Amino acid sequence: MTATLPAPAARRGLDEKAAGKKTFDKRAVVPWLFLAPGLLLALVFKFWPMAKGVWLSFFDVRPFLGDRWIGLDNYTRVLSDHRFQDAIGHTLILGIGQSVGAILLGFALALLLEGQAHSLKILRTAVFLPAVTATAVVGELWRLMYYPTSDGLLNSGLHLFGLGPVQFLDNPNIALYSTMAMGIWIWAPYNMVILLAGLAGVDRSLYEAAAMDGVSLWQRLRHVTLPAIRPALMIVLTLATIRGLRVFTEVYVLTGGGPAGSTDVWMTRAYTLGFTRNDIGGASAASVVLLCVTLLLTVMVNYLRKRGEAR
Amino acid sequence: MGDRRRHRRLAAAVTVAGLVFGTAACGSGSDSADSGDPNTLEVWTRSNPDAAATYDRVFAAFTKKTGIRIDYQPVINFDQQLQSRASTKDLPDVMINDTALMGSYQSQGLLKPIDPASIAGGGQITDKSWSSTVGIDGKHYGVPYSRQAQTLMIRTDWLKKLGLKAPTTWQEMLSVAKAFATRDPDGDGKADTYGIVAPGSAQNGYAAWWGASFLWQGGARIIEPAGRGTYRPAMDSAAAVNTVTWMKDNLFCGAKSVLQPGAITAVTATATNFQDGNAGMYMTGPYNITTFDATLGKDKYEVVPAPAGPAGGDVLADGENVYLGAKTGKDKQELALASFLVSPEGQKIAMTSVDGHQPVVRIPVNSTLDAAKVRGDARWSVVQKAYEDASQQFPNAPDFAPIKQDTADSLNAIFTYCGGDVRSQLRELNDTLAGDLKDQDLLK
Repeated sequence: MTATLPAPAARRGLDEKAAGKKTFDKRAVVPWLFLAPGLLLALVFKFWPMAKGVWLSFFDVRPFLGDRWIGLDNYTRVLSDHRFQDAIGHTLILGIGQSVGAILLGFALALLLEGQAHSLKILRTAVFLPAVTATAVVGELWRLMYYPTSDGLLNSGLHLFGLGPVQFLDNPNIALYSTMAMGIWIWAPYNMVILLAGLAGVDRSLYEAAAMDGVSLWQRLRHVTLPAIRPALMIVLTLATIRGLRVFTEVYVLTGGGPAGSTDVWMTRAYTLGFTRNDIGGASAASVVLLCVTLLLTVMVNYLRKRGEAR
Repeated sequence: MGDRRRHRRLAAAVTVAGLVFGTAACGSGSDSADSGDPNTLEVWTRSNPDAAATYDRVFAAFTKKTGIRIDYQPVINFDQQLQSRASTKDLPDVMINDTALMGSYQSQGLLKPIDPASIAGGGQITDKSWSSTVGIDGKHYGVPYSRQAQTLMIRTDWLKKLGLKAPTTWQEMLSVAKAFATRDPDGDGKADTYGIVAPGSAQNGYAAWWGASFLWQGGARIIEPAGRGTYRPAMDSAAAVNTVTWMKDNLFCGAKSVLQPGAITAVTATATNFQDGNAGMYMTGPYNITTFDATLGKDKYEVVPAPAGPAGGDVLADGENVYLGAKTGKDKQELALASFLVSPEGQKIAMTSVDGHQPVVRIPVNSTLDAAKVRGDARWSVVQKAYEDASQQFPNAPDFAPIKQDTADSLNAIFTYCGGDVRSQLRELNDTLAGDLKDQDLLK
C-alpha cells in the first residue's frame, strides 16, 4: 500500500509575523518531532529496503563474493523473458477482473446492508469476515471447495444439476478465473466498508426529492447515489488497482502459478526468480518495474480524479 | 512566506538527518557475540523444532566428547537467512542442508573445500557418496551426512483384496493403478479411490523431483557431463521423449483416477491422498514412513522397490551434506565436528528417535551401519538397497536450482496440455536448459 504522509499544515495569520525573523523556528520543528516515530519506522522498514531494492536491481547480486554492477542487464532479461510477458497478461486479467468484480459486489453488498438495524450490523460483521481472515487460510478453504471430484463442495452442487465435475484449478483455461472468484470474495467486503461510509454521507433529502419526482430505482442510483459516493469510489478504485497489480498471496496459496504457468502473475514470477532461482538482482528489477507501473497508474488515477472534481 | 518555507525545510532536513543517524546507530550494534571464540562452533541446520530436538542430542554428545561447544541454530527459511548472513561476510561455521544446494553454494563462494582424508573415518563413507560432493573444479565441497532414495509405498490390504501383487514394472504398476481406481479396493461401493499419488506442480520444482525417478528408469538424463567440468542438456534425447510421452499418455492424460484428483497442481503438502487412505501407491522418500505409520497404520502398506522402466529401476536419491562455511578460521574444530557427525556413534544418535522426535539421518553414509538394524525396522533395508544399488542424484556440481525449476515448469506444462507435442516441447526445454548452463559458464 502506498501511504501518503500528511505534511504539517501550514499555519498562517498571526504566527506569520512573529516567526518571520528567527532563523530556526521551534514551531516548525514540533510537528516533525511528532511525525518522527512514524517516519523512523517507515524509513527503516519501507523506504530503506525499497531504495536497496532499486539499487540491487542494477547488480548481479552475490552477497558473499560482492555484487557486480551489470547496469540494465537485469531489466532486459526480465522484460524479454516470455514467462514474464505471459505474466503481464495474467496480471492484467486477474487485476482488472478482481478489482471490477470486488467493487461491483462490494457496492451491491453496501446497498443491501446499509442501515442502522441491529440485524444489519451482525450481517455486516459476518460479511466482513473474509477481509480479516489470513489469505493462506482462505486459500486452503477454497482449495477444498474447488476439489475436482463430485465430493468437492462446488462440484457436489453442480452434480445436483447434472453438471461437472469441473477442474476448477487443474484446467489451465479456468484456473485464472477460479483464482479471480476467490479474490473477489476476499476483497468485496473490504470495498463494502469504504462504500458504506460513502453511502452514509449521502444527503437524505436528495433521496426524498427523488422519491417525490417519482424516479425509478435505477435512475436514483445513477443520478443520486453514484455521484454522491464518487470520492469513496475513487478511493476504492485506486486501492483496487494497486492491489490488482501486485497480487501475489491469492495466487501463491491457491495454485502457485500453475498449472502450466496459466495463473503466473508478475509477483509470483518475481518470487520464483528471487527465491527458487536465487536471482535476487533479477527479482529486484522485476519489482522495480512493477513499482514504476503502479506509481504511474496511481498518479494517473489521481490526476483524473482532480480533473473530475474541478469540473 | 519564502522565509517560512525555508525554515520548515531546514527543520525537516534536521529531523531526517537525525533519523538516519539514529538508524545507523541501531544497525551497528548487532554483531554476533561469540563468533570470535575458537572453541564454539555456530551450526545451522534446516530443521523444524521436532528435528532440532534430535540434533540437540547429537551436538550434546559431541561437546561431551571433545569439549567444543556448539551454538546450534535450527533455521527453517535457511536460504534467505544464509543470504543475509553472507552479506555480512560472517557465515555460520558448519551447515547441514540439502545435497542439491552444493553447486549453488559453491558458485557463491560460501563453502570451504574439504579433503576427504582430513575427515577421521572418512574411509567408511562409500565412494558413491563421496562422489556426490565433488564440485565443478574437482574438489570436494561437502561431507555426505544423510542419504535417501525413493521407494514405492503401496497398500497391501488393497492388493490382497483384489488378488494382485506389488508391481515390478511400469506396465504392472499401471494395471494395478487402474485396478485400484476402478475395482473399489476399499469396498465402500463408491468410485472414490485412486491409483497413484503424484505431486505434479511446478512449484518448488516438484514435477521434476517426482518425475526424476521415471526419467532415470526410462534412461533419460536432464543434463549430462560433457567433460572438463562442462555439461550439456539432454532432455531432447529419444529416451526422454519416450519417457515423458509415457508419463503423459498413461498417467496425466490417461484413464480416469489413475492419478489422484488435482495431481497437476499438487505439491507434497497437498498430495495427502495416500495417508488419507484414498490412493494406493506413492513413490516418495522414506521420511514419510513415520507419517504413514501414524496416519494409515503400519499394517496397511509396505515399502517396495520402485517398478522398473525400460532402462532399469533407478530412482532419485538425495539427502543432506555437512558444509563448512568459507573463511571462518576454525578448520580444526569444524573437521572434528564433521568427523563426529559421520562416525558410527554420531550417525546412530541421529538415526534413533527419542521421545518421538524425528530422526535426522535416513540412510547412514557410514557403510559400517545398517539402517534396518539401527532402527529395528526391516523396511529400511529396502530403502538402503535402493540407495546403494539403484539410485542417482541430481548433478550437484552445477547450481541445479534453475535447471530443476525449468524442467519442472516444462513437465508441468506438458502434462497439463494433453494435446501438445512432447518432442517440440522438450526441444524447447532443452534450449532453456542450455541457457541456464550458459549463465553458469558450464555449457559445452
